[in-house]
Amino acid sequence: MEFFTRLIPPDWSVAELVLRSTVETLMIALAGTSLAVLGAIPLGFLAASNVTPGWLSHTVKWILGLIRSIPLIVVAIVLVTAVGLGPFPGALAIAFHSVGMLAKFFAEEYETAEEGILQAVRGTGANWSQTLRYGLVPQSVPQIVAFIVYRLEMNFRDAAVLGLVGAGGIGYYIQLYVRGFQYEKVAVLLLTIIAVVTALDQLTYWVRRWVR
Amino acid sequence: MIEVKDVHVLFGNTLALDLESLRIEAGERVFVLGHSGSGKTTLSRLIKGRLRPTSGTVRVLGEDPASPKPKVRREIQRKVAMVDQEFFLVPRATVVANVLSGALGRVPPLRSLLGIYPQEIWERAEDILGEVELSGLEQRRVETLSGGQRQRTAIARALMQEATIIIADEPVSNLDPELAEDALQLLVDCAARRDVTLLVNLHQPELARRFASRFVGLADGRLVYDGDPAGFTRADADLVYRSSQRRKQKERDNSSDSAKPVAPATSHSGIRLVRP
Repeated sequence: MEFFTRLIPPDWSVAELVLRSTVETLMIALAGTSLAVLGAIPLGFLAASNVTPGWLSHTVKWILGLIRSIPLIVVAIVLVTAVGLGPFPGALAIAFHSVGMLAKFFAEEYETAEEGILQAVRGTGANWSQTLRYGLVPQSVPQIVAFIVYRLEMNFRDAAVLGLVGAGGIGYYIQLYVRGFQYEKVAVLLLTIIAVVTALDQLTYWVRRWVR
Repeated sequence: MIEVKDVHVLFGNTLALDLESLRIEAGERVFVLGHSGSGKTTLSRLIKGRLRPTSGTVRVLGEDPASPKPKVRREIQRKVAMVDQEFFLVPRATVVANVLSGALGRVPPLRSLLGIYPQEIWERAEDILGEVELSGLEQRRVETLSGGQRQRTAIARALMQEATIIIADEPVSNLDPELAEDALQLLVDCAARRDVTLLVNLHQPELARRFASRFVGLADGRLVYDGDPAGFTRADADLVYRSSQRRKQKERDNSSDSAKPVAPATSHSGIRLVRP
């Protein structure tokens, strides 16, 4: 109860600092998501059993499961130890962690593709990659885009926590102010995070409507 | 051009196709008649290489269309175009994108992945779209087209392939009767202009008679007619369209174990003929 009463009034003197670290967190999320998408596109094809031989798609799916099973915070700690403090290991940790989920979702989406269309494109004499490009991808694009923007939103929330282990962004200040019992400043942090998440949510909606 | 010899196709315990011999020469317009489940689609899938026969040989342009060598298989895929019953166009893509994809087998693969087609391929696509009377709809998404327009897009894609053989599997079953005739006329005309061998699966003999140079009748996976459309009599039609019931009846009478009419055997169980 005391926690809530002490949130008010927010101490806006830290606004600039908070804003700067929020932007950093956003950048970590964006960079991490972009890297993850770059990895998840080929991995998604390799994990989709309708376009990749079973032995390979099963192996890739198993590896993706392994990646997903490692908690983000553990990945972040390992990477901070390996490459040092800052936003760079944060982005890498986000990328590594989300590639496991994105590639799995991509693969599952590809697997729902209409087999007849794939056969029709293959039937023109198209090779494997052409069949993916002209038979599979056009069928899956709206869902793929929806997954990406959703993952971006998730990654922002995840990245906000990464500062706890020294991987850059807003998390560092969350930890700092919470531990210092400076709840008026924590209030500013919380309001900023809520604002950004709401904005991202709206963005997700627009993007999904735009790509149909 | 197409040679089918001693071919058996089994789906589980069901004999879907049992053909001793079938030869199709260049330039023929063969219409394959029969009920759904008579083996028409199975035959066309064999020729397209989507299916390997359980036993026997299939040769298309001298090669095995289901060859284990990917290079041979792709070459046959390119030379045999197929218009499916369901068209199988990409609904979200534009008309012209769907038609251009017909040329994928003969364009530079890497550049095609970036969506770049050579200029002459674009011009070719424009010409073909004019030929099938779709000019002006190039940029429309396929999902916004009517059934007849989709049909013509599917034909355009097949023409774009510059194939030697075009197979059409029940190409007009999704269209109104008037549209069906126009669509068949279009397909036959386009094929004739290119000296393409045409193989059409159809279940309406009267419609087929107007376009065919040869009839092949299938019933329960067996050849029951092969020859001139003019010689296709009422009695032959009866054989093609009624034999399935008779055969089932006979199997029921003759044996107690092997008769197991599962899909894709016919589903016309409404009429039961009593054997005379």
